[in-house]
Amino acid sequence: MRDSRSAVILRKDPRRWRLLISLMARISLGAIFIYAGATKFGDPLAFADSIASFKIVPNALVSLLALGIPPFETICGSLLVIGLWRQVAALGALVAIVTFTVALLSALARGLVVDCGCFGSGLVSVTRMRLDLVRDLAIVMIAALVYADSGTTRA
Amino acid sequence: MAFAAAREFGHQLASLCLLAALSLACGLVLNRFRSAPLPLLYRTPEQRLERQLSELVKNPPFRITLEETIGLGDFQRAVADRRTLVLDARPSPFYEEGHVPGALNLSRENFARDFRRLQTVLRHAKERPIVVYCSGGSCHDSKLVAGALLSLGFTSVKVFTGGWEEWKNAGLTVSRHP
Repeated sequence: MRDSRSAVILRKDPRRWRLLISLMARISLGAIFIYAGATKFGDPLAFADSIASFKIVPNALVSLLALGIPPFETICGSLLVIGLWRQVAALGALVAIVTFTVALLSALARGLVVDCGCFGSGLVSVTRMRLDLVRDLAIVMIAALVYADSGTTRA
Repeated sequence: MAFAAAREFGHQLASLCLLAALSLACGLVLNRFRSAPLPLLYRTPEQRLERQLSELVKNPPFRITLEETIGLGDFQRAVADRRTLVLDARPSPFYEEGHVPGALNLSRENFARDFRRLQTVLRHAKERPIVVYCSGGSCHDSKLVAGALLSLGFTSVKVFTGGWEEWKNAGLTVSRHP
């Protein structure tokens, strides 16, 4: 009898949907980052070539970034999925995706046709870059939502 | 209130730096166990190709055998035949002084640079007959260049062992145009 009353209260609680959306956003973001990291682990040279093609970082830093970014994405993603150290992991994901988006925007502005290397190597074309940019902007929004929520909710 | 928020954000940034350092350490350790580790000093694809080609021409895995060498008569026919690609393996100053008409300069000395320069011609020459020559006599440049070409997948590569010396001594036409 007590159980059914609690269920009714939960159903009527308006915070329930917010918690659910917040939880789904966090787990989705985590999964995206785990996948992004995993696709880059197999071929670090291809990822290094992708980073270098943006012509933003000096060659001396390319290998360090190519080796450091995949574990960073995987660790952030795993922490987000598990729900451990959530705020730091969400901030990490936000910083990473904003950096990738700015790099892609700058490449488009400079007329470079590059493979973003976001989820492994792929086709190289301006249309593909624009699509990648739209996808990155969507992930930026999810990451911002997760970061903002991670400090206030327990989802 | 604002101070507390700034302090909290500072803590988050410090933790993030720690996470980034940990990730880099993980990446470096994993890289050590790879069968082909990523070099810490990055080289562009062009630099890698140049390095590979330079190494290849120094010690090509394919060696030219006696059957893959030709004499002056066959070489003259090859020069007359437009399908055959004639390559001069001598350093560019010697090539510029004079070379076999129609020959292109793919020097042993600057193999990688010349290979990239001639890439458009070489890309379509995998199946074409190729003859390489150098100074003649005891020169090895033509054999090394021919060996490197065979290693790169060129199927019909021969060496004119008499080289430039025999061609010139026979009083045949000399070209000075590249």
